[in-house]
Amino acid sequence: MDGLISFLSALGGIVTSFAIVDVMWATLLGIIVGMMPGLTATLGVALMTTLTFNMEADRAILILICMYIGAIYGGSRSAILLNIPGTPANAATSLDGFPLARAGKAGSAMAIATTGSVVGSMIGMIALAVVAPMLAEFALSFGAYEFFWLAVFGVLVAGQLTALDDPIKGWIAGFLGLFVAMIGQEGIHAIPRFSYGSTDLAGGIGLLPAMVGAFGFAEILSVMRHEAYHVVRSKMDSVLSGIRDAAKYKVTAVRSGLIGTFMGLVPGVGEDMGSWASYAAARQSSKRKDEFGKGSVEGLLAAETGNNAAVPGALIPVLTLAVPGSAPAAVLLAAMVIHGIRPGPLIMIEFPDFVFSVVAMVFAATIAMGVLGLLLTRPLLLVLQVSRERLMPIIFVLCTVGAFAIASRMFDVWIMIVFGVLGFILRELKYPMAPLILGIVLGDILDKSLRRGLVLSDGDLTPFFTRWISLVLWLSALLFIVLTMPSVRRGIMRLMRRRRGAGEEP
Amino acid sequence: MKPSRMDKLDFVSAIVLLVFGIGVLVESLRMPRLEGLDINPYTVPGLVPGILGVAIAACGLAMLIRALIRGAWRLGLTGEAATGWLASAAVRRAVVTLLLTLVYAGVLFPLVPFVIATPIFVFAFTLTAEWMALGHRPPPRSLVIALVIAVVAGIAIGYVFQNLFFVRLPGG
Repeated sequence: MDGLISFLSALGGIVTSFAIVDVMWATLLGIIVGMMPGLTATLGVALMTTLTFNMEADRAILILICMYIGAIYGGSRSAILLNIPGTPANAATSLDGFPLARAGKAGSAMAIATTGSVVGSMIGMIALAVVAPMLAEFALSFGAYEFFWLAVFGVLVAGQLTALDDPIKGWIAGFLGLFVAMIGQEGIHAIPRFSYGSTDLAGGIGLLPAMVGAFGFAEILSVMRHEAYHVVRSKMDSVLSGIRDAAKYKVTAVRSGLIGTFMGLVPGVGEDMGSWASYAAARQSSKRKDEFGKGSVEGLLAAETGNNAAVPGALIPVLTLAVPGSAPAAVLLAAMVIHGIRPGPLIMIEFPDFVFSVVAMVFAATIAMGVLGLLLTRPLLLVLQVSRERLMPIIFVLCTVGAFAIASRMFDVWIMIVFGVLGFILRELKYPMAPLILGIVLGDILDKSLRRGLVLSDGDLTPFFTRWISLVLWLSALLFIVLTMPSVRRGIMRLMRRRRGAGEEP
Repeated sequence: MKPSRMDKLDFVSAIVLLVFGIGVLVESLRMPRLEGLDINPYTVPGLVPGILGVAIAACGLAMLIRALIRGAWRLGLTGEAATGWLASAAVRRAVVTLLLTLVYAGVLFPLVPFVIATPIFVFAFTLTAEWMALGHRPPPRSLVIALVIAVVAGIAIGYVFQNLFFVRLPGG
């Protein structure tokens, strides 16, 4: 009940003040950023963090959340109209969205995507309001051993899920991220590591310039490397028929919302997997499997519900464990710390109202997304006319100034450049970026927790394996990794097929 | 089985990772152990970096073995293939983009006043990128639009950061 009161008072604060204007422009800007291929939600939130430094904490976080939700939704527009996902989270959207647009149903497709995004975001928001306080209370019993396993679990599972075909590359990306976090003074004895006398390096690698590089500059190089895209002109039907179409698949929407929220909750996995997993589940249980990939309303709805549900889902571990559920959520975590909020198990004790103000922010952003998305269907098409040749240099200028503005030092600009080039190379070699970023965030937690744990147990490794939460964490990580290994997965499928075959014999 | 292009790239990246992992391990072993400070030996600074070095090297080794089994050590590098790759439009676009951005971030941004440096970069980038996309000089109308965008971007971004966020930009 206290939660509901906090939520309503925070929402009232947003609706009855200038904050509502912030909600509208930030969500609209998010949609535009998401629509433009090459500009991801992560980059949008990272650049916006550098622009909201001087603002009060609540206002800055509100703008960032609106940007995040808007961008993940906006990506569906380019996926539907250009067959190019605006953000990686909309890849599954293009599978059915683009065929619908080609068949002259672009208006319906956009309305289905909007409906799915609103429903998904609302389901995720309810989960955030219900799960976050419980998880925070549960996490109060976490000690060094548990935080160590949480960091290991996060990096390995994120590595596995973001590189399903070749998990080793995902793990390597995670380990490299953890290594980056080791650069600079360590947290127990303040000894500089891998700094070689440089005071800048001894201060550590900032998450924000690294992310602006890995998601901004790397993306600019990647976009410019590939051929230019062309806008497909097609007939557009009415938006209203799309909402009616989407309403037929209530079960799919709710299931996708729940799957998306769960994927958001798992550290570092986020919207991309939220969308793919919901899409796969919808196809599995659909009566019209053959329509998937050829313009299925159900498929499009599942993909867009799944990715937007992952946004509030990814905020749950950010608030309660200080572990990001996705790459944009990692930037949000950094922004919260910059603004003096300390996310983690103590959040319900130190900042009791904050969790529910975040819920209210998600609610306001979701409504704005739905309203703007439906009202501005045609004007927003103009965004897709902007040529990459004119947009990319301006984005690079923003990356440079943004990286510099964080601490007014050129060192951060160089970090942005180095991470941009490395990110571009790693991406071309099919190493995922999300575990790398998660590694940078979790490195410090892993380092301190392992060493503190060892001090507490006087070098004995047993408590790492026998304390019951630790036990559950490492066992589930191990089980998950083994079960999702490509070779094991193939083996299980073969076994099931054989058993089914044997069962069918008379 | 003929190794794919990705197998060959994996072979190269596996060697880099193996060497890097070993390097991290060696550096971690060289880190101070702080014996003189009477600290708990389990809190030595090199512990976690050392474990990470081992993990990176082990993954690199696993990938190397996999690439060797797939026969990816036969890189098939010939002068002709290398020249063909370097001359491809995609590589040319990426290299030109990298050079232009490096000149801006490394020279123009730190040394030249922002309102001058930024329009020069934005215009040069747009002009070069459009030229490469079209295969010939862009029409005059395009150039005028690019120039207007460049000047407006320089003034607007400069104003926002310098006058609204009070960031003192290095070039002034």
